[in-house]
Order: sequence, then structure tokens, then C-alpha cells
Amino acid sequence: MKELINLTINDQAYEVAVAPNQTLVDVLRYQLELTGTKKGCELGDCGSCTVIMDGKPVNSCLVLAMQAVGKDIKTIEGLETEQGLHPVQKAFVEKQGVQCGFCTSGMILSAKSLLDKNGDPTEHEIRKALSGNLCRCTGYQKIIESVQAASKGVSK
Amino acid sequence: MLLPKFKFHEPKTEQEACQILTEYGDKARPIAGGTDLVVNMKKKLMSPEHVVSLSRIASLKGLQKENGFVKIGACFTVADMIEAKDIRENVNALSAGAAALGSPLVRNLATIGGNLGSARPAADLPPPLMAYGATLILKSGKGKRNIAIDDFFKSPGTTECRPDEFIAEIQVLTPPAGAGAGYINLGARKAQDCNIVNVASFICLNKSGVIDTARVILGCVGPVHLRAPAAEKILMGEKPDKVLFRQAADAAKTDCLPITDFRGTGEYKRAMVGVLTQRTLEIALDEAKKNN
Repeated sequence: MKELINLTINDQAYEVAVAPNQTLVDVLRYQLELTGTKKGCELGDCGSCTVIMDGKPVNSCLVLAMQAVGKDIKTIEGLETEQGLHPVQKAFVEKQGVQCGFCTSGMILSAKSLLDKNGDPTEHEIRKALSGNLCRCTGYQKIIESVQAASKGVSK
Repeated sequence: MLLPKFKFHEPKTEQEACQILTEYGDKARPIAGGTDLVVNMKKKLMSPEHVVSLSRIASLKGLQKENGFVKIGACFTVADMIEAKDIRENVNALSAGAAALGSPLVRNLATIGGNLGSARPAADLPPPLMAYGATLILKSGKGKRNIAIDDFFKSPGTTECRPDEFIAEIQVLTPPAGAGAGYINLGARKAQDCNIVNVASFICLNKSGVIDTARVILGCVGPVHLRAPAAEKILMGEKPDKVLFRQAADAAKTDCLPITDFRGTGEYKRAMVGVLTQRTLEIALDEAKKNN
């Protein structure tokens, strides 16, 4: 039995009919067409489905859509403003932190959450904050460098 | 990867949760962060007909220091445990356990109650909680009962919690002066792995510097987390030093039943039980000296 629920995603209200066994990532991708959030392992291991829920990055494959009611959800689509890309997004482009791109939305959202709390993290803190996001191409170095570049930009 | 079908309940109060769990009994399963249950349901290892979310019950999310106890609501998240001053300052080994669990993304969802209720023998929170001698408060329509954490785990995935009950709170007695505890987990990676071995140790020194309480807990080396009686016996009534800790570490190796699997051989795990017992005792001693 589907039920109508209200979700707040990227400061926009959505009314959507969901079944109890639908996860947030499936509703985002298949019903709301917010396909920037990726689906990898679907078991909370890879982090490609990362979204920010009430200010904290979480695996949206482990959240039931109904559990997300009343929460403030931010996806990768919500980062860009009229002024252009978010500084973390810009840094990933400039420092070549993107290779195939599949992990990128998750990486950027985890990095943004870190920088919101700590504007000048050490390399160790960055690696720790991104430890739930797996990348299978870059070897992480370019990603870490992108976050470092963004932190310098953000703290200015 | 589809989840099996189920009916979803989101009680707003503990009373409402009790009613739902009493009505559906073993057809229902509580959910909080979902980092364990959702995974098991996707893998079709579990398919409860009713999933009862405890996440909207405000009274299960608190943390307070009261009457010498640190009281942690079952739905308090693991990420918040790392940040909580009351936990770090009073029961630091529990902060260490929280910091070792999963990844930042998982920790933002996972809860203390869930980590205990899922009863995995490699879980990160049971060893420090057993080291501190924590008590669980279980609630149901029939009332509430307290259970010592040592009596809570029955076998992998099963606990003392009845189908009509839920974990409401975890109470940890603030350790007295002269007490200290340590926790270390060993895994193949720093995040997102299953522990190979994890150990927590607690000692309390009396005024003459003699150990009058010792608890050593071994994880991943039995069907549930194990107390290490031989190691504890060696420590009790003695003055702590490296030699004593090494003897206790050797004894701990005889207190466990590690299996050989893809994470490591039984022999390796047994050796690591020794190493981690010694190291956690050293952390506990440092802290005990500071708290004196």
C-alpha cells in the first residue's frame, strides 16, 4: 500500500506516493528524478548514495523514505546556487578530483559536511571524514587535494 | 536490491511502541538507524511483517548524567556519542568504541540500542559497555526491567530482549576514582570493516594501588562477547605493571574460542587477543592513574 508523504529536498517540498519498503535513494532517483545521487552497493558500504540529512551525511540506501519525512534533505543537486557551483564542487573540477564521477556526489557531500563543521581540516581529518565513501579510480589523492583546496577557499 | 514488503509503524511515544510490539510480537522488528536491519532485510536474512520505527520517540534520544550514572537513550546515535562530553569525560572507552564503528555515514544513522540489539559478536559497543558493567533498560507493555549487559547476549543475533520488548536506555555507572578503561579494535581497514578482534579492559585501583576490580572483554572470538575470567583472576589483588599485564594477556588467550575464517586464522586471532588485552590494560592503567 502506497502512502502519500511530504519530503523536503534541497529546500523544496515534494509530495510523493511511496511504499514502506522503498528507500530514500530509490525515491530520489526513480520518482523525483534526482539522479545525481548514485546507487552502488545498496548496503551502506560504498557511500555513493550519500545525502545530507538534517546537516549530517548519511547513506540514503539505508534510510526508508518514510523515515525521511520531516527531515531536511540535501542532495548534490542542491549545492549549486545562482552564483555557480559550490566551492567544493569547483575544487573537484579544478583539482581533477573527478574521474569516472560515480563516487563524486557522495565525496562532495561528505566533504561539504566536514568543511561546514571544520573549515581547516588536516589531511587525516579529511581522510577520516571521507572513509565511508569509496572511489575505485582516482586512488583518493586527487580527491583529498580537492578538499584541501576547497578548505582554503571556504575559510577565506 | 529490493526490500521485502512490510507494514511500517512510527509510534510517537514509548507507550504506543509497547502496544504495537505487544500486538504483533515476533512478526515485528524494531528499527532505529536501520544500518543493520535494512541490510539484513535486503539480503533477505530477515523479513519481518511489521517494522516498528523507534526514531520518532523523543524520550529515547536523550543523554544525561544523573545519580552517578551516564544514561544514554537507545536511539542516541553513535556519531553523537563521539561528540558527547558526558561520555568522553566519564566513560572514554565507550567513545573509543563509538569512533571505531562503521563509517561516518553509518555512525550518523546507527544507534547505541541498535548496536546492542543486533547482537553481532564483532560489534564495537558491547566490549566497552561490558567493561563498565552497563545495565540495559528494556520496556514492554508489561513494564520495564533492568538487565546486566553480561546477561543480555545469547548467541549471534539473539538477545534477552523478548519480541514484545524494546531497549529503552543504557545506563553506565560513572567509574570511581582510581578506575580506567581502554578499548581497541583490530580490523583490515580503518573504516567499514568487520573487526577481526576487539578487546576492552577495565581496572579499578584501591588506595594502596592494588587492582580491586578487573574486567576484560573479548570480541569476535566466541558466539557472543566473552568475559576473560582467567585474565581477570590474574589481575585481581595485584599491583599493576607490565609483567602482570603480560601474564593477564597470556591468560586471555586461553579464555576465547576463535574460529578460522576469511578474516584470519584462529591462531592469529588468539595471538591478537593477547596483544590487545595488554594494550587496553595499559590504556586503562594510564587513565586510572589520572583519575586518582
